[in-house]
Amino acid sequence: MNPSTSSEPRSPGALLARRVALGVSIAASVALAIAACTAPPAPRGPTAASASGAAATAAAGAAPVADAYPTRVWWGDEHVHSGWSGDAGLAGTILSPEDAVRFVRGEELTSNTGQKAKLAQPLDWVVVTDHSDAMGVINEVRAGAPEFLADPTSKRWGEMMKEGGEAGQKAAREAVTAQANGRLPKPFMDPKWMVSAWEKTIDVMERYDEPGRFTAFIGYEWTSNAVAGDNLHRNVIFRDGGARARQVLPLTTFQSRDPATLWAWLAAYETKTGGKVLAIPHNGNLSNGRMFEEKTYDGGAIDRAWAEARARWEPLFELYQYKGQSEAHPALSPTDEFARFELWDTANLDGVAKKPGMLRTEYWREALGAGLRLQGSLGVNPFRLGAVAGTDTHTGLSAPIEDDFWGKFPSNEPSPDRWERVYKKEQSGYVRRDWTLGAQGYTGVWAVANTREALWDAMMRRETYATSGPRITVRFFGGWDFVDAEMQGPDLVAAGYSRGVPMGGSLRGAKGRRPTFLVAATKAPGGANLDRAQVVKGWVDASGKQHERIWDVAWSDADRRRPVRGKVPPVGDTVDLARATYTNDIGATELFAHFEDPEFDPRQRAFYYLRVLEIPTPRWTAFDAVRYGVKPTADVTMKQQERAATSPIWYDPA
Amino acid sequence: MRRLRSLLAEPLLHFLLLGAALFAVYRRVAPGGESRRIVLRAPQVAGIADEFRSTWGREPSAAELDALVESAVRDEIAWREGVALGLDRDDPVIRRRVRQKLEVMTEESLAAPPPGDRELEAWLAGHPDAFRRPARVTWQQVLVAPGDGRGVDVDGRTAAIRAALARGEPAVSLGENTLLPRRGDDVGLDLVARDFGPGFAESLGGLPLGEWSGPVASGVGLHLVRVERRTPASMPPLEEVRAAVARELEADRRRRALEESYRRLRAEYDVVVETAPAAGAGE
Repeated sequence: MNPSTSSEPRSPGALLARRVALGVSIAASVALAIAACTAPPAPRGPTAASASGAAATAAAGAAPVADAYPTRVWWGDEHVHSGWSGDAGLAGTILSPEDAVRFVRGEELTSNTGQKAKLAQPLDWVVVTDHSDAMGVINEVRAGAPEFLADPTSKRWGEMMKEGGEAGQKAAREAVTAQANGRLPKPFMDPKWMVSAWEKTIDVMERYDEPGRFTAFIGYEWTSNAVAGDNLHRNVIFRDGGARARQVLPLTTFQSRDPATLWAWLAAYETKTGGKVLAIPHNGNLSNGRMFEEKTYDGGAIDRAWAEARARWEPLFELYQYKGQSEAHPALSPTDEFARFELWDTANLDGVAKKPGMLRTEYWREALGAGLRLQGSLGVNPFRLGAVAGTDTHTGLSAPIEDDFWGKFPSNEPSPDRWERVYKKEQSGYVRRDWTLGAQGYTGVWAVANTREALWDAMMRRETYATSGPRITVRFFGGWDFVDAEMQGPDLVAAGYSRGVPMGGSLRGAKGRRPTFLVAATKAPGGANLDRAQVVKGWVDASGKQHERIWDVAWSDADRRRPVRGKVPPVGDTVDLARATYTNDIGATELFAHFEDPEFDPRQRAFYYLRVLEIPTPRWTAFDAVRYGVKPTADVTMKQQERAATSPIWYDPA
Repeated sequence: MRRLRSLLAEPLLHFLLLGAALFAVYRRVAPGGESRRIVLRAPQVAGIADEFRSTWGREPSAAELDALVESAVRDEIAWREGVALGLDRDDPVIRRRVRQKLEVMTEESLAAPPPGDRELEAWLAGHPDAFRRPARVTWQQVLVAPGDGRGVDVDGRTAAIRAALARGEPAVSLGENTLLPRRGDDVGLDLVARDFGPGFAESLGGLPLGEWSGPVASGVGLHLVRVERRTPASMPPLEEVRAAVARELEADRRRRALEESYRRLRAEYDVVVETAPAAGAGE
């Protein structure tokens, strides 16, 4: 039997979870006095003291009006390009950063191809991440001009700019402020004095950021492709408002393609402004082995300082997006029957073919394990990566929605033949077509309020999860003494925060105990039912070898789904491709589990994350086929099992 | 004849002809001696240093500044030579950039003074849906059955839960396990809709106050629902939404101005769009 095979749940909790999922028990608990939405923070038990500060941070980061701990998940996209990204503009995207924000807020827009577009469910937050390279094409004109001498303010600014340095910057800032308030002196109304694209992006985010209602993050994408299309891209997200972000210009790859340079830039930003910023790497799947390579950009040996910098600035990784998933690959996880999902594993961004061995340093799950191993040799885990997802749309329209997918570029906005259009002819001769684009994903953030500060803090402590699109609610807590009875909804959350750590946290020092976990998931309201919840564990043995194992901890239809040789059989399939529909005759609306690691070895570093799968549903290609009456070829994927994956909870013996 | 053909196939000839052609083009378009002068004025050099400072938060070293200045010179030379060769023409990247710049320029140049209170009031009154505060409820729910209750004795469960409630058992201890909020205190119906689905939130608006109703179907299951208090949707006064109203009004203003500007420009052009000849016509 393969050591990584998922097995029959051994804990009574998992068995109980089956009953709950089946709905045979109207579970009545006597301890449900606390409603989740109004619960005060329970006193922290003695075990929590040995855990990391994740839960403590949750409470400490609360604004005065915010809840004591996160009671609501806030949905957003950390990866959106508008027509101001050079490649998007070239591809015909005319929507601006402002359009992109208005769209996710739920406004109807006219798309780049003249179609009406509107999100059925608006988002709570967004980061517009236009490429920094060539973003500033609309540059300020700094040189003085005679017409300014007539106006006193203009004259003063002109002199300051001539002086250069701080004075020049101050003049520019004053001009920007005046521009934002419509108080520019007349000569400045001359288009030559346009503010830069960066300034304008900040203006837009400032206008649309409404604390408590909608969060518009200031951000950009640093787009390093190494030498030729090895995707080392990072989304840079600021916690701060315009006053700080305006003090800097985004880093471009004209300056450097080495991620360590970006970390230095992030550090310089924080030192200069007193602000906070983080970076999210994405598309390891298109990096041709370079995203998680265990050497420096220039090929040198990595050391503790390198690992510290990476861990410090990059707390998260993007698992799902239009150009495929980077969660796990079937070749690396052969016993994971769900890893074969939205794979882009043939080449890098430029179509340069992938060689054997490259996969190992491209995918998140493998990197999480490598991080544990490197922690042993370097003293620091450089890959302590939580889970997020975004679209990477280049249309200004964030729509990772199967029946309302707006494509990555204007050429794959809805049309009868978009499924077969050529996305890229790769070096190997493989012709990648638009049908391989995946309509995914979104990030769920457990934060105490919908504000830049609260959401960003939650991202920094990794209290986040990635979904391929559906708004599945997922809770995952780790602790040392959770019991079955605590699977009850409100109890689970209160117990989770008071005696354990949420997703993204750490457990330390087993002291003879085993890690226990509380698991809960609710399907997207009105969406597809859930198939199963799985705990994915990775660890490193004494010889430094990485292992993984997947446990099904709760699943639907338990009466007819007995595990066979350690695996829960497939949930079934109600998809009707002729009509692009499915039914919820199978699956569960909610899943609960209490899980205790039966193979726990207190000497081994480990990570645990939760993955929740929906029942099979039609893919966007199936909706297109019905909508346009077209018949995609047999190689086109027409259905899928959408999913959510949480940030891990780490176990550290020390 | 054969000799001519082999001569025509000779790569050297191609090279020479191409060279001659390029030279001819170059002679015609190359900038004259006087324009072969590149001057980076002090403010421009200062600007380069400023940009470095803005990016890195420190002064560039002399070597760094030299490299940046040299790069600017190189840019300028490449630009002049490239334009002389017509490389800017018919380049979709450049055309797109120029259009973007022109549109941003137009927006900037049309910037009007900030809207006054009367305009803002009118906008608010004209777009109530965009600013209306959602109705709020204080309520609780008990999950009777997941999904649509298929295969479950919904009536029996409902009766049992109602009986327990009548005995005074706390609602939070009854019904199916769920992660959904069991109660909400003065919570907006927009948030209820996120958790339970829009139809369910809407139905809360019509239930009698202070008593258990249902089962009511949500996007997750069937619920017994008790609404304690309801605050109807309301229009906020301008003071509370001034920034958002101004933003919406100005965004609309910019869009219209841009369209109007394009309309006027287009009217100045004589646009002829030739349609492709019908299939079968012509040769």
